[in-house]
Amino acid sequence: MCFQNLPIEFDEQGRPRLKSGVRDPYAYRRVSLAEQEEKLRELMVRAGYIRSLDFDPVTRVAGALAFHCVVDTKERKVLSANSMATFFRGYEVILRGRDPRDAIFISSRACGVCGGVHATCSVEAIEMAFGIKPPPLGIVLRNLMLALEFLYDHPLHLFLLAGPDYSQALVEPTNPTVWARAKEREAPRSAAFGFKTIGDIMTAMNPLTGSLYLEALEITRIAREGYVLLGGKYPHPETVVPGGVSTFVSFQLFNELYPIIVKLADYAKKAIAIWDDLTEFFYEVNPLYRKVGARPKNLIDSGIWDDPEAYDADYAHCAQWGERRWATPGVIVDGKQVTTNLQLLNIGLEEFVEHSYYEEWGSQRFPTDPLGAPLSPFHPWNKLTKPKPSPQSWKEKYSWATSPRWDRKVMEACCVARMWNTAAAQKLPSRRFIEPTGESLRILLPKGEHPEMVVEWRIPEEWNAFERNRGRAYCIAYTAAVALDNWVMGLEFLKQGKTKVSTPFTIPTDRKVRLGVGFWGAGRGYLTHHLVAERGLISNYQIITPSTWCASPRDPFGQPGPYEEAVMNTPILEEAEKPEDLTGIDILRAIRSFDPCMPCTTHIFLDGTGLVITREVNTCACGLED
Amino acid sequence: MTMATSSPVRERLEELKTIAGLTGIPEPPIKEVHVFWLAGMSCDGCTIAVTGATAPSIEELLTGAIPGLPRVILHHPVIAVEAGEDFVAWYYKAWRGELGAPYVVVLEGSVPDESRAQRTGGYWAALGVEGADPWMAQPVSVNEWLRRLAPGAAAMIAIGTCATWGGVPAAAGNITGSMSLMDFLGPNYKSALGLPVINIPGCSPVGDNFTETVAAILLYLVGLGPAPEFDELGRPKWLFSETVHRHCVLAGYYEEGTFAEAFGERRCLVKVGCWGPVVQCNIVSRGAIRGKGGCMKVGGVCIGCTMPGFPDKFAPFYKTPPGATFSSLFSKAVGFLMRKLRRISMSERNWTPLWDRKGAVPTPWGKPSRKSWFHRLVDSFYRWWQYRGSVRLDKWQTYEEKEREMEVIWMGR
Repeated sequence: MCFQNLPIEFDEQGRPRLKSGVRDPYAYRRVSLAEQEEKLRELMVRAGYIRSLDFDPVTRVAGALAFHCVVDTKERKVLSANSMATFFRGYEVILRGRDPRDAIFISSRACGVCGGVHATCSVEAIEMAFGIKPPPLGIVLRNLMLALEFLYDHPLHLFLLAGPDYSQALVEPTNPTVWARAKEREAPRSAAFGFKTIGDIMTAMNPLTGSLYLEALEITRIAREGYVLLGGKYPHPETVVPGGVSTFVSFQLFNELYPIIVKLADYAKKAIAIWDDLTEFFYEVNPLYRKVGARPKNLIDSGIWDDPEAYDADYAHCAQWGERRWATPGVIVDGKQVTTNLQLLNIGLEEFVEHSYYEEWGSQRFPTDPLGAPLSPFHPWNKLTKPKPSPQSWKEKYSWATSPRWDRKVMEACCVARMWNTAAAQKLPSRRFIEPTGESLRILLPKGEHPEMVVEWRIPEEWNAFERNRGRAYCIAYTAAVALDNWVMGLEFLKQGKTKVSTPFTIPTDRKVRLGVGFWGAGRGYLTHHLVAERGLISNYQIITPSTWCASPRDPFGQPGPYEEAVMNTPILEEAEKPEDLTGIDILRAIRSFDPCMPCTTHIFLDGTGLVITREVNTCACGLED
Repeated sequence: MTMATSSPVRERLEELKTIAGLTGIPEPPIKEVHVFWLAGMSCDGCTIAVTGATAPSIEELLTGAIPGLPRVILHHPVIAVEAGEDFVAWYYKAWRGELGAPYVVVLEGSVPDESRAQRTGGYWAALGVEGADPWMAQPVSVNEWLRRLAPGAAAMIAIGTCATWGGVPAAAGNITGSMSLMDFLGPNYKSALGLPVINIPGCSPVGDNFTETVAAILLYLVGLGPAPEFDELGRPKWLFSETVHRHCVLAGYYEEGTFAEAFGERRCLVKVGCWGPVVQCNIVSRGAIRGKGGCMKVGGVCIGCTMPGFPDKFAPFYKTPPGATFSSLFSKAVGFLMRKLRRISMSERNWTPLWDRKGAVPTPWGKPSRKSWFHRLVDSFYRWWQYRGSVRLDKWQTYEEKEREMEVIWMGR
């Protein structure tokens, strides 16, 4: 039984239904934040060693971000942190009332970092709503394109955004003893990358001058070169259409892609060795690093990369085609996988706006999904985006981000959740390069500059900043393997003469109400678009992105969002003579490990003062309520 | 680099240059230029596009690796090492005129109407906070930064369609009141160097279009390059004066009147929603990244993302533009005849003169179709026209025949 909090039970055939005899089944009691706030305010006034640590803006995240936290400098603990998104462009509002086809290009522009994920997700929502099934080659090309996008995205994060936090330029001034050890410590996997010591790796990670930094920048270009062969341009592609793709196919396309994919698969071997060595070194220097960015193992993933033989865009079969994806969808609660069924994933969703700048919509149009399973009034198909900029109050509303929850639990989205769910479920059909074992994922990487090898990512014992980063390095290998698999499969379809890449479609203008949902993935994990279409236009459009999950403010039950929680669990390990010299590197590592795509903004601020301490700024978009 | 700047080596280098009379690339009069990157209602796609540029690349600009160009010091939240106050401090220096070097402001994303947000006590986008008392500090909106930095800037550059024209955040039904940088600064704005807002549109733009424009301005400033020209909307003229259709690899299909009816058919795409014939853009000739990609080159329709009318004047997407419906009628009629005739001359040119004489093609690959009387008629007329007024190269069957005729000419008979 996967639901503990929602009023859902299963009948004899295993179909979900509302628990009988519950009056007002989705009602809840709101937890007040006032008392907490009062306590912290008093504490700050009384104790001088309790101080605030400000970052405005947090740099090196996609978009910008600022936060403030309250730190106990004696105990070296973070007492309080809140996450706050302060950026709203109203994409969901703009989409309402437009032609459904506009959703592809408009929603794509929600995020310029993870290019094409929104376009593809919206296409899958449209395909479901209007019953358009793409031909196999169209699906394979989509998979290839979105694999190449992650092969740009993961190296970008690991070496350009998060990487500098582990470079000599930042480690030496913030943790001189760690740097001293690093210079002495031989790198165990030296053979894979050629640096002798951990210190050498750190020096190579220096921004703009380090060879690993510059190599990663170049790798992101190579991956994007592959991407634009399929999508035309990056970040916003031009070839993702309902019913497949509009890409011209010839052997030339496959030939040009091949060396690119092989090069990226080869690069994965190096990236993994580096992040394995770095992670183990930090654990060795101080076991407390295992607590940086730590939070419970609650992860959700929508799955990605459809099986060309299985995907039919039909909600009635989403449990089946979902489980045949290269990334198995699923939900992990306390380290245990509770479902891999896309329908259950969908009906467990709720989005709360208690602490967000929106009005409640107050109505429930769809009590059930198209298969008759119960839907919450807070489900995205029922939710309407009603923005209401209002004064900030920590007790009331403080963020443009909403609080998505699954079974009313706080979930984290991450590319590692893809591997985790796939590894644990063991539902992946037999594939050429990837094997899930239940505890791990084995990935075969072909020979390139480096010899052929099998890398194995194991489900981590702890879940923290280092495992997020290390996992992301393994995701490069995983994604390259998916790309290779789809490349081989694409050629197979060419051999069989199955060269169609799209299915023609029309947009009906009748009054029938059609529901669609795109379950796809972004560079950072989970992504869904919920579409309601009628009379040839969009009557409702709802986007939940990975950073919506991670940057979420507190929910009505008082549970903090993942960034907030991870920062509060982070010990301050930085070496500083005086408390005012703290740069907050540990907190920054915790936040950056999530790969925040805060084109939206998150503000982590003092919980409980009722006053704005800092907030921020900016820019991209994919994180929030766009 | 260290060697060239240490003085004895430097002196020796200068001496050698003088002796040899070598001038090389002159040292730039300005050693450094600061670039302040601000983001309004944006998706960060322009930043990402710029990291893909290679002509020149961002790392070349930032490390001063290009002779003659000043080093660019970029203040950008996505690549900065510093965070928080240390990062924002540079913005204050620029505002107070304490940089000691010129600065350029780049805006990505459209400018929201903050007065709408203020009505309910909020704001749309901000950078940094101000206020002596940290408890009462207030965020500084991006609009406020634009107001502070615009008067002293050497140039204000809008990158991407949101900043140049308004873009998607300004589409019908937007509640943020988003507008372009030009709309925000007004028609009378000129930078410290006397430049109106420079616009590099595209959603997302081609990264090289941005770095090339920056390089063009810098090369002009150091006296190496011509004055960069901008059109009536402040776009670099050499990049945006042509329609994307003129350089489109599929434009030949339009000429012959053959159009894709379904996605993935390699023909002209206007029937499936391409607006290329009326859109000013260079993506198919330049490529999206390092020459690769470019919308129509790979099968994507042009949705006009570089144009001020984007998105609403190009929506609904994937519907045939009315212009294409009418003009394609003409190209269909003319193209039908042209295609027929071209097929004849092309097949004729697939035969070597030797095969012509032998009347067969020596390969088992395929059997060239027999020439019909119509084909032969067209071809003989074609050859007559081709060689009219010049030497007819197919009239000699052998070496001897040609030599005989040449002998006559040689002897002046």
